[in-house]
Amino acid sequence: MGQRGRAVLQSNASQQESSGTSQDALKHNRKHNICMVSDFFYPNMGGVESHIYLLSQCLIEKGHKVVIVTHSYGKRKGVRYLTNGLKVYYLPLQVMYNQSTVTTCFHSLPLLRCVLVRERITVVHAHSSFSALAHDSLFHAKTMGLNTVFTDHSLFGFADISSVLTNKLLTITLCDTNHIVCVSYTSKENTVLRAALNPEIVSVIPNAVESTDFTPDPSQRRDDRITIVVISRLVYRKGIDLLGGIIPELCLKHPDLNFLIGGEGPKRLVLEEVREKYQLHDRVRLLGALEHKDVRNVLVQGHIFLNTSLTEAFCMAIVEGASCGLQVVSTCVGGIPEVLPEDLITLCEPNVRSLCAGLEKVIARQRSGAVPTPASIHARVKNLYTWRNVAERTEKVYDRVVGEEVLPLHMRIQRLRSHCGPVAGSIFAFVAVLDFLFLLLLQWLVPDQIMDLAVDASGPFGMWNQESGIKKRTSSQKS
Amino acid sequence: MGPDSAPDPPVPWRKVLWERQPFPDNYVDGRFLEELRRNEGLRQYHYWAVVKEAGSVGQQLSCVAIFITVWLYMEQGLLSPEVLLLTSLVCAMLGYGLHQVLASTVDSGDEPRTRLADLQSAAIFLSFTYGFSPVLKTLTESVSTDTVYAMSAVMLLAHLIFFPYTQPSPPGSLSLNAALFASVCLASRLPGALHTFAMLSCALLVFALWPCLLQRLREKAPSQFTGVCVGMCIGGIGGLGSQSLVGAVLLALALGNVTFFCPLLLITLQRQKDNIQGPWDEAEIHEDLSHFIQ
Repeated sequence: MGQRGRAVLQSNASQQESSGTSQDALKHNRKHNICMVSDFFYPNMGGVESHIYLLSQCLIEKGHKVVIVTHSYGKRKGVRYLTNGLKVYYLPLQVMYNQSTVTTCFHSLPLLRCVLVRERITVVHAHSSFSALAHDSLFHAKTMGLNTVFTDHSLFGFADISSVLTNKLLTITLCDTNHIVCVSYTSKENTVLRAALNPEIVSVIPNAVESTDFTPDPSQRRDDRITIVVISRLVYRKGIDLLGGIIPELCLKHPDLNFLIGGEGPKRLVLEEVREKYQLHDRVRLLGALEHKDVRNVLVQGHIFLNTSLTEAFCMAIVEGASCGLQVVSTCVGGIPEVLPEDLITLCEPNVRSLCAGLEKVIARQRSGAVPTPASIHARVKNLYTWRNVAERTEKVYDRVVGEEVLPLHMRIQRLRSHCGPVAGSIFAFVAVLDFLFLLLLQWLVPDQIMDLAVDASGPFGMWNQESGIKKRTSSQKS
Repeated sequence: MGPDSAPDPPVPWRKVLWERQPFPDNYVDGRFLEELRRNEGLRQYHYWAVVKEAGSVGQQLSCVAIFITVWLYMEQGLLSPEVLLLTSLVCAMLGYGLHQVLASTVDSGDEPRTRLADLQSAAIFLSFTYGFSPVLKTLTESVSTDTVYAMSAVMLLAHLIFFPYTQPSPPGSLSLNAALFASVCLASRLPGALHTFAMLSCALLVFALWPCLLQRLREKAPSQFTGVCVGMCIGGIGGLGSQSLVGAVLLALALGNVTFFCPLLLITLQRQKDNIQGPWDEAEIHEDLSHFIQ
């Protein structure tokens, strides 16, 4: 396979570059060409999107080359450059549901092959199990003989039919993925069970929070009142029904209590009805959808941050809340108990009574003044989760992965059939063979050797810094 | 703390993310998956208990068979509509009496329907059916007989599939409507208007009133319920046997399958059940939160 040949060539080249250093040092100095793949990226906003962007930025800072592949969003098609030469490919693929693309197992191969060959990718890093493009890319990357990493951002159950099907799909795509990254230990347990994985190839690397964006500012608080801030999408999974039970309960007991709720979603109705019924218009403010930059300004107005999620793999919101110096009260679900030390968070059972009791306790503490200052909370939280640390740990995963051998086709078929059950395994072994034949056809039509190589924007030979001066000049001329 | 750094075990591993621990990122502790719970809240079934419950399914199957038998007799002229009406009346009176007796043994809290109301509904139904039976008789005249039979078969199957076996009283609207539709189809192929009327009354008795009585019987006298089910099954097989031996054999096989083989299958497959729960499951809201809004 041409790709593998190229990869070998490249590692030879890098060996020549750093000839004289020991093998071990080489391993740690090696720069990777990483391709991040997910259906979810800017202009869509959310946890996965910002994770990919910030991780990529930190990897570029460390000298790696990173490109991002996602599907086109409206008129946003083709190649775009973001800060520091982060190149984003918006592939023209059909969106099916919730920004996830259609998957046919084959149709994305020509485009993905173009990107992977032109960019001389060595590691394909796919994100989010909701993304069909991520699954596709893992499958094609293996056909092309590349090493793969997958990051799982969410938790799944095992009981209903949809999770049975997605879990089977995950088993198939992860069966020859080299390494999997999960955002919390609970998420790791979940993924290992869902995809029947060896836990040794699953690393836990938590999400991070840009703590410099979330600094406390107690002057924004109203000291004659106690404000509870909730920032989340207003959907069932975030426990908004519980919030609808908590608001009247606590507002009746504490006349100086305010709620500040940021976010939008179908469950907004519940909150509006509660507000209407109990006449709490002056005390419960619904801010609607917030832009990321406004989140901090809302957070600093509160004393207590409340999270009522019913399921959560990591929960960045509580870290952001704590980083702004708020007392955090949260349901004890999923990975949440792992995220903050016990003295910074009050964990409650996911029901109205327990959450009210937890909030009462914190309100009493707040009144008596027995809480640490926002600045001291911020100081403790700010270094817990940093993107630099995430990038460092992810880099080690890449270092480990590139040394691994990619299974040749017959071994891959064997693995699929032994790992994914006789029926699904055989079907996807067949799909793998077809994919391979399709790749051969594409290679015959346009051989890898005659494909143009893309100009590196980031990475060791990145042109961004050299050219940025010129670019600035031309852009100023234009304007 | 990359995946490759050597483990250093003097401090115990903790399942927390906020603390930098001297373990590699892919470290697997002995406590991995310790919160995994299997088959929580699993119900253990006993074979004969399941067979008893499955009896109500077999019984319903036999009801359909009995109804078809009655229709076959009517169609061949072996049973006159007068006799059927008279038998139906007697059965209805007996059943109603039994229903009342069973109701009175334990007085229910809410006000019971008066006899007058029952009589009224019966009178309305009978007069309307009697009045409309000439219309119903000619309703499917333009439809071919094969179509009518196929439709009846499908509808009776739908009746069996959608029948609310756990709570048959009142009968589910979908299954009852399917059954009545099938009986109108079948009744319209009988020779006269009185035949149609008799057939529809019989259908009402079998598909609407009998399940109610049976449910009452099941609640109040569970020991008799089993006997009644067995009786119905034997009646169904015997009745069908007098018309078609193949039909009787097939019915017997179906009944045996439903009442004896399926419970066995359930119990054997129950052992294969592997349901996993853990901290990753979505929390469920058990409280009723609607009173906060309404």
